Amino acid sequence: MAGGGFDAPESGGGLHKQKKYKKGKKIGVRIDMTPMVDVIMLLLTFFILTTTLNTPQIMQINLPKGDQEDKIKVDMGNVLYIRVSENENVYFSSGLSDGSEAEPVKVSFIDMKKKIESLYNANPNLLILLKFDRKMKYSSMVDILDEINKAAIEKRYSFMKMEDADKEIVTKAGG
Amino acid sequence: MKKARSIKKPGVNIDMTPLVDVIMLLLTFFMLVATFKAESTEAIEVKLPESVVTDTTKLPEKDIMTLTITKAGDVFVDVDNYKVKEEVFGSSVGIGLYHPDSTSKSEYETSGGKINGKPFNRPVTILDKETFEKTLNDLRRALKSQTGGKSDFRIVLKGDLDAQYGVVEDLMDSFKTTRNTRFALVTDVKSSNPE
Repeated sequence: MAGGGFDAPESGGGLHKQKKYKKGKKIGVRIDMTPMVDVIMLLLTFFILTTTLNTPQIMQINLPKGDQEDKIKVDMGNVLYIRVSENENVYFSSGLSDGSEAEPVKVSFIDMKKKIESLYNANPNLLILLKFDRKMKYSSMVDILDEINKAAIEKRYSFMKMEDADKEIVTKAGG
Repeated sequence: MKKARSIKKPGVNIDMTPLVDVIMLLLTFFMLVATFKAESTEAIEVKLPESVVTDTTKLPEKDIMTLTITKAGDVFVDVDNYKVKEEVFGSSVGIGLYHPDSTSKSEYETSGGKINGKPFNRPVTILDKETFEKTLNDLRRALKSQTGGKSDFRIVLKGDLDAQYGVVEDLMDSFKTTRNTRFALVTDVKSSNPE
């Protein structure tokens, strides 16, 4: 019994040995994946960044409805004209209650925001009328709208055509 | 001694295969998304002006009509719904071209189909003021019927930095007459705020 008991595992051990030998013939290749993972991570971050970075923002603009009926009468005293010449000089001129308007003042781009804010504080009903020269660059239009948006005021502005009379005013003031 | 030490150090062997699988999946996803986007809106390249973030409105993702203004003052009319494009322009990749400024010539027409000096392969429908305004209405109607009246049609203006304001003024006139009084300008986020 004891001998048999001893024998059996030995033969089993012999079998095991044979198996091990077989296994040893198979070449176990262990690939180090770390460099691959590094490269893939790099690619991944690249793609994530490129896809999310170009989400542009928008600047919402509402135009007045073109109906003839709902034209709003505005008190000229509340109006601020912002005229921009072809050379992209900015001129502010406030409307006066009697229908005329004050002399245009040249305003540098940096002071624009402050100027608008102080005018708004003096008169909260301020309405800004923008008159841009057709030859002006589109980027300047965005810059000016951006300055108005940045100013802490209730945004009330609309676009008007720059007529010849406006051009004259601007050239008189220095072009 | 040496042997005892080496036994004490726990040799951890992490199997990276599942990690690699997941990362590969993410990678293919992002690659596909990135290339797909570039293909469907075959780039009319414009340099967008920059603006400071003033409100949190982001570009709506669908049902938008993009008007791209190139440096030369050409306006390209495009919608993101290919069925609508098929209906209005007769091709699923069609695009409309409108040159509002009568004092200059369209770059696309004078250069034999180039935009910013690069050839452009999508079929182009050339529009004048009247047909442009008609197209605006057609696009709006087509988009409404395609989406079952649910669409919130938005006009988005992508202007080049060096485009002239006059073009925008003419477009605004057309928006007024077609009663599209709400539109948006696409800008890049200003990287540094000098305040």
